[in-house]
Amino acid sequence: MTRRPIFAYRISWSQLAWLGHRLSGIGVLVYLFMHIVENATLALGPDVYNVTQTFFRNLPVRLGEIVLMAALVYHSLNGLRVIAMDFWPSTTVWYRPLTYGVIIATALAMIPLGLIMITPYAPWGGR
Amino acid sequence: MAGHGRRIWPVQGDPLRHNPSRAATPRPTQPGFERFMWYFTRISGLLLVLLALGHMLIMHVLVQLTGQEINFAFVTSRWGSPFWRIYDLLLLVLALIHGVNGARIIIGDYVVRGGLRGLLIGLLMVMTLIWLLTGVFVIATFDPNGAPAAGPFS
Repeated sequence: MTRRPIFAYRISWSQLAWLGHRLSGIGVLVYLFMHIVENATLALGPDVYNVTQTFFRNLPVRLGEIVLMAALVYHSLNGLRVIAMDFWPSTTVWYRPLTYGVIIATALAMIPLGLIMITPYAPWGGR
Repeated sequence: MAGHGRRIWPVQGDPLRHNPSRAATPRPTQPGFERFMWYFTRISGLLLVLLALGHMLIMHVLVQLTGQEINFAFVTSRWGSPFWRIYDLLLLVLALIHGVNGARIIIGDYVVRGGLRGLLIGLLMVMTLIWLLTGVFVIATFDPNGAPAAGPFS
């Protein structure tokens, strides 16, 4: 059986971008499966649904939601890069700056998003 | 690592027919299911950038910024509007098919044995069908009881 080596050589940013796309995609998909289960309690009426919602109002879940947001932002931006390079192969000339751009844009977007999302649980937020 | 050479993946025959992986393959030209999913992934991906990021921004950022809380009353007023019901249905169907197809490609990349690969992908498909039907059922049959729309996102 032949296995595809993952770290058998010096890894580049573009390979990390590819790995990140898969990991963020799997992460969002796992969340989606959980989200459908959690939403299904809507069919059981307000009492059940309102109780299940309280399970999600705590710091660990909020940190997970911030990771989810980062995964989705990254997957979206990197996906747009992949689409651009698939349909306009000439853009592959710019694959390195575009990849760096995706990573930097994700990090920049997560500064305000992360701050807003953590605020209810932060010392300055006060819940 | 020496020994692997250039052969990092056992592509036998036509990779478009024998392996669902799209890694290192160009835009598919051969008609069929794999080409359909290749285009579906990209077109649904463009829509999901708006649908999924919009959903996350509303539910996880704007709801909090406007001092609201997600509970049954919130969902009642939100799904009282056909716009948000169709939005959520579209998001559910596109995201699930887009994501599960990606998972199928990843299974195909790492599970080399045909039988095990088929079993895993088969289980994934059965699970997806159950989850898809559940999700569509919940959105489609939710009874808003004629509640009036309230709040900026309802």
